Amino acid sequence: MKLSLGPLLYYWSREDTFAFYEAAAGWPVDAVYLGETVCSRRHTLRLPDWFSLAEKLAAAGKAVVLSSQALIESESDLKQLRKIARNGRFLVEANDFGAVRLLAEAGVPFVAGPTLNAYNPDTLALLHELGAVRWVPPVEMPARMLAAMPVPAGMATELFAYGRLPLAFSARCFTARHYNLQKDDCQFKCLDHPDGLTLRTREGAAFLTLNGIQTQSARIYSLAHRLDELRAAGVTWLRLSPQSQRMAQVVAVFHELITGTLAPAEAPARLARLMPGEPCDGYWLGQAGLDWQPERAAALQS
Amino acid sequence: MSLPAIPKPLARVVGILPAFPVSFAFSAAGNLAAWPTLRELDWSEVRGRRFCVRVRDLGLAFYFSVGPRGFVPEVAQSADVTFTATAEDFARLALRLEDPDTLFFNRRLLIEGDTDLGLRVKNMLDGVELETLLRRLPLGLGRVLLSLRERALQPA
Amino acid sequence: MPALLELICPAGSLPALKAAVDGGADGVYLGFKNNTNARNFSGLNFDDAAIAAGVDYAHGKGRKVLLALNTYPQPGEVARWQQAVDRAAELKLDAVILADPGLMAYAVKRHPDLRLHLSVQGSATSYEAINFYRERFNIQRAVLPRVLSLAQVETVASNTEVELELFGFGGLCVMVEGRCLLSSYATGDSPNTCGVCSPAHAVRWQQTPKGMESRLNGVLIDRYADDEKAGYPTLCKGRFEVQGETYYALEEPTSLNTLALLPEMARLGIAAIKIEGRQRSPAYVAQVTGVWRAAIDAVKRDAEAYRVEPAWHSQLDRVSEGSMHTLGAYYRPWK
Repeated sequence: MKLSLGPLLYYWSREDTFAFYEAAAGWPVDAVYLGETVCSRRHTLRLPDWFSLAEKLAAAGKAVVLSSQALIESESDLKQLRKIARNGRFLVEANDFGAVRLLAEAGVPFVAGPTLNAYNPDTLALLHELGAVRWVPPVEMPARMLAAMPVPAGMATELFAYGRLPLAFSARCFTARHYNLQKDDCQFKCLDHPDGLTLRTREGAAFLTLNGIQTQSARIYSLAHRLDELRAAGVTWLRLSPQSQRMAQVVAVFHELITGTLAPAEAPARLARLMPGEPCDGYWLGQAGLDWQPERAAALQS
Repeated sequence: MSLPAIPKPLARVVGILPAFPVSFAFSAAGNLAAWPTLRELDWSEVRGRRFCVRVRDLGLAFYFSVGPRGFVPEVAQSADVTFTATAEDFARLALRLEDPDTLFFNRRLLIEGDTDLGLRVKNMLDGVELETLLRRLPLGLGRVLLSLRERALQPA
Repeated sequence: MPALLELICPAGSLPALKAAVDGGADGVYLGFKNNTNARNFSGLNFDDAAIAAGVDYAHGKGRKVLLALNTYPQPGEVARWQQAVDRAAELKLDAVILADPGLMAYAVKRHPDLRLHLSVQGSATSYEAINFYRERFNIQRAVLPRVLSLAQVETVASNTEVELELFGFGGLCVMVEGRCLLSSYATGDSPNTCGVCSPAHAVRWQQTPKGMESRLNGVLIDRYADDEKAGYPTLCKGRFEVQGETYYALEEPTSLNTLALLPEMARLGIAAIKIEGRQRSPAYVAQVTGVWRAAIDAVKRDAEAYRVEPAWHSQLDRVSEGSMHTLGAYYRPWK
């Protein structure tokens, strides 16, 4: 089992972003995903900055993957996408079929990201044929479905295993909307919310997280205690999604876990102290994503 | 665009009727009028579920289930799903003059209890051809209702 | 001559299909009674007999019938989607509306003459994505997610030979279709896998001393005072609290209505306008189809002289959620 550090979904200052990845160079993760996947207005790091970070992390022994934007709207989004697809050096994560087209055209291997909606063997085989060497299932995919997927030889399965779940993308910026600002004049309010803005029900229950045009879960998806099930379902990479505080410790817990020095059953207690919210694991069980039933075994066969 | 109003004294009288006979009468009328058409629907998912139709302005509530031979009045005054609206709105819904979602958005139609059951029945009834149903009504009622509908469809 | 502003209307039942055809729809779209389509609601949609009758009725009047197969097949059940494609070919439907590339590959191989449309659930927002489906599966038309501004639509239109279909009216998804998992996060059922959003089995309305509450699998989506209009608890249209402020944090319960944009859509050569609402009743379909037929005829007659008649708006607002409408993302400041 390998660990990857997923793309940074939030918008941080340039200094904080560089500091985060400088630290990450020393964490026991095998791969690091870099780049802006959420909003094209975010620019504390430009593409050349991401490339230079990529070089540094590669020099530190990390397998670097450049992640592409999930929602492509404008011609300038496409320009950026083409530069990433034709970078000629690093693996790319395709998060849209426009990216798949460009990468297949360039004849380079790629990672099929979670928003490509590979829910069945035919689509997965097609992605493999087009050059995908690794795929990330949709985050809502339950254990039962994943275990039933015949994964082509030479293709690895990477699962979103820790972090706030990216649930939806919109043309509208919900952070700007919260401040009564238009998206085109958002004043980069996302910078004030390094782990997003919590949306609560009228009864005060934390429900979702606003992160610009992206909507995330308020709860932290965590499958650490399900390591055996993950292995049985064919998962070979665990994706850990960045949070602004205590990420190093989160990575350390997962590293202990996959190297066998931490029993999976011990993981929830360790992680509880590191999470910026309550945990959930419902998707893996085929239930509502927000459920948390760590004691319940996931069905691996239908 | 309106249907004839229900006279107020009538509303007062029916409001004090005892419950079971009302449900009985409703079911009997339903069986006579609509069941010949509605029987063609697939009611298997709905068998044994209890419905309540509450007519807000008349103070009436009908409790029934759907069996193999039609509507069955229920004695118990409880239901899996309850529809509440005025007599006129129910009539407008039945004649397809009004879209249930529209009434719902405007708080004129209330669905309480098992929402899925409520929407299932709504969707099933939407699948019935109005003309077929009206044609099969006894006593030439269909023609009367059709002409009422035509009249209501005329711009005011 | 290429298609221009075809009116494509929803049908959740045979009476709705007839209402659409009678009201002047150029095409109707519908789905089977299972999770192969994104309106998999109890009691809704077409069984074999109804679809055959519907095709006869529509084709008899020279109108098209399109089949929505726009959910994602899942391991062990792929055959259900493939059989639906076969059935569409047998019935000589005018197109199938697909989201899943694996299913498109099947359709193209088995039924090379079957016309394929890319569903909005395929989340294609750029010409690069649309051209991917064109090159691989020869799709003829793409339905665009409701996230692009008209200027962005124009860029797409001028960089692909694929016909474009835009949403004109109806319930408004504020999220990119096909990439929204809010429903499964709260209830376990998503549009992608189950063909439902905020499914009715998870919905409860309850009158409480604080007002009428709507809940989705126990999560409070909204609470209404007695004089407030209510909404179906679609979870993106609830009222929530963010930093101490309670408001429609994602989207108001409102409908998309693009009547005002029709001349611009005609200029861009938009092939078809889609009306949302297969879950709505025949009465809705009749009312909405009538208004849009009149509007499209007016714009085709003389785009310069075209004006939105106030009566059209009031008729459409009556059947709209929240009785309000918006131009959505087509109008950039909405974002």
